[in-house]
Amino acid sequence: MTEPGFVLPTLTLVALATWLPAVAFALIMIFLRPHPRQAAGVSIAAVSVSLVSAVWLLIRHWHLSAPIHFAVRWVASGDLTIPFGFLLDPVSLLMLTVVAVICFLVQVYSLGYMAGDPGFWRYYAFMSLFAWAMTSLTVSLTLIQLYIFWELVGLASYLLIGFWYEKFSASEAGKKAFVMTRFGDVAFFLGLLLLLIHFGNLDIMELNGPSPAERMSPFLLTVSSLLIFGGIIGKSAQFPLLTWLPDAMEGPTPVSALLHSATMVAAGVYLFARLFPLFSHSAAAMAVFLAIGTISMVAASTMAMVSRDIKRVWAYSTISQLGYMVMGLAAGGFFAGVFHLTTHAGFKALLFLCSGVFIHHFGTNDMVEIGRRGGRSLKIPMVCMIIGAAALAGLPPLSGFFSKELILGVLADRSNPIWVAAALLGVFLTAYYTFRLIFIISFPRISDEVKAHHGEDNHADRSSDRLMDWPLIILAAVTLLLGFFEAPLEHFLVRGLAVIEPAGGHAWVLFASLGLAAIALGLSWFEYGRRGADQVGFVERIPMLYDFFAERWYIDRFYRFVLNRFVYRGMAALCAQNDQKVIDGSIDGLSRGTVNTGRRIAFLHTGMIQYRLLIIFVAMVLLGMFFVF
Amino acid sequence: MIVSFGHVLVLSGLLFLLGAVCAVVRRNLIMILLGVEIMLNAATIAFVGAALRWHDMEGQVFVLFIFAVAAAEVSVGLALIIGVYRRTGSVDPNNFNLLK
Repeated sequence: MTEPGFVLPTLTLVALATWLPAVAFALIMIFLRPHPRQAAGVSIAAVSVSLVSAVWLLIRHWHLSAPIHFAVRWVASGDLTIPFGFLLDPVSLLMLTVVAVICFLVQVYSLGYMAGDPGFWRYYAFMSLFAWAMTSLTVSLTLIQLYIFWELVGLASYLLIGFWYEKFSASEAGKKAFVMTRFGDVAFFLGLLLLLIHFGNLDIMELNGPSPAERMSPFLLTVSSLLIFGGIIGKSAQFPLLTWLPDAMEGPTPVSALLHSATMVAAGVYLFARLFPLFSHSAAAMAVFLAIGTISMVAASTMAMVSRDIKRVWAYSTISQLGYMVMGLAAGGFFAGVFHLTTHAGFKALLFLCSGVFIHHFGTNDMVEIGRRGGRSLKIPMVCMIIGAAALAGLPPLSGFFSKELILGVLADRSNPIWVAAALLGVFLTAYYTFRLIFIISFPRISDEVKAHHGEDNHADRSSDRLMDWPLIILAAVTLLLGFFEAPLEHFLVRGLAVIEPAGGHAWVLFASLGLAAIALGLSWFEYGRRGADQVGFVERIPMLYDFFAERWYIDRFYRFVLNRFVYRGMAALCAQNDQKVIDGSIDGLSRGTVNTGRRIAFLHTGMIQYRLLIIFVAMVLLGMFFVF
Repeated sequence: MIVSFGHVLVLSGLLFLLGAVCAVVRRNLIMILLGVEIMLNAATIAFVGAALRWHDMEGQVFVLFIFAVAAAEVSVGLALIIGVYRRTGSVDPNNFNLLK
């Protein structure tokens, strides 16, 4: 056999894992518009082959000693060449597997959730587009290649948020997400250009080597790190670009689970992990990252405490968990950040998919309404949601507990205690808002319980929901078990890289965080769960604080203000004036001049044939005289 | 040679001028058509003279072509004039200025 597939199985597997969804996307867009069922079949088939390839790759290269890379020359212009290819190292292998698993589960789940939607084929086309872009992003060889797929992922996100485009709020949310992430991406691109000009190469392996520190001044290195981090802020919805993510919940719930919690928003953190050695050259940049991660984490947790929309609570918690990851990475805990990324992908997808079952069943996003209409009667989603919520709150023995403890341990190593204090505050808030939601859904207020029977009658369509239960059960199992794979994963991830891991030995942090989580759980039980509780949180008793949190720290108001004052009234007004006065004016003047000239010389046109004949003759004679003599 | 080529050209030029004046000044469509025909025939006279002068039969062949074209043109032109007359009751070209 001389086939390359036999010689280079790794290459074939990577190509299968990344490009099959692209094939599925093209097939669906071109041929399968009128066949939604086949479209779903093609998409799921592609993503399952992708999943098998990814898992196979992970197993095959579990004892990877050096990164595998494969490159072909893509663009050559002058002495600048841009290669295109694959880079497989532990981080990208792990991320590829996570993405493929969640993509697969969510697509299967969507069979139930999206059943009967008129845009079914479109949904699966976009899902395939996303799967292609996201898997390709993870194995990108250069930053340019990563940037291309980064933008494609953003496009898929825009299309899927605005999937129900007839709804005004959905299309607005899509636009908002697109524009806000674009701000970050512009910074990212500038950072890339800066690296390209001063370093001359965007190969991730070279950037992560020792050479950038030798060839670039520390100042330039810091500036380019900060600019690239701008892209991370946009994509991972960190402070101050965090308000697009809650609005992105207008999309279908499986989309929120896949893109806006588990994988796409994690792409920002993934980029951070990817360029971790490069960023570590600049201590100043790392300090900024740490601060931004902390602010996002605390801010988003406070916002989650007052939201009644079940999906928005998870959206805020996603921001805050991403903040945790950024904190962990910025504090130097490479494995802590990546491990939390992995566990978070599992339990957050679980939480979203569970909420999806409730939303699909009851047709509302309001957690009080869901609780009132008997949310707890859906046994499997309820149990899975409690598992996911406990993982989110960091309760043992679930996966979130292990990864969060790692991050807290890294933060406790810092000399400044403010970071670990903020992280512990975050633990408290997270446990509080998570169980607030659980208690509201599972212990509706007694006076409303009478109406609970009202909701019983629409249990008939429960049979079609069975398909949606399996992904939940699998994810719940992953959430339960993943924490115990901490040691092998750490061995796998850290081996290739010379990263100093913290020595650990911060037992007090473990007990403090467990204690705080328990107190928060008790507090939320006291306010929401116990018999006779009035279900009013302590935040709601302080109107000023409540408004502050519910208005998202007035960040959106501030953007709206800036937009109105400077963009609409300043720049847009100037542009409009230029348009009306200069461009319209000159064109109007031109046409008016033409009309007037025409009027003025119209007397020549008498409409009489014989005058014309005369003029023709005279002209001919004159011309003849001119040429002859 | 009985008639010199110069005389033939003068005759043809005079006829052409007459035809042109007729086409320009007369206020009757039929007369305008007639003027155009006279101009064509003036050209044929010049062709015949030139054929004689250079002993080349191509000039006479052209005359035959011009006859054929002139006959076709007159038939079409007269048909148009009759159509216009039936429609408007007039053959004065100054009345036909709708396109102005």
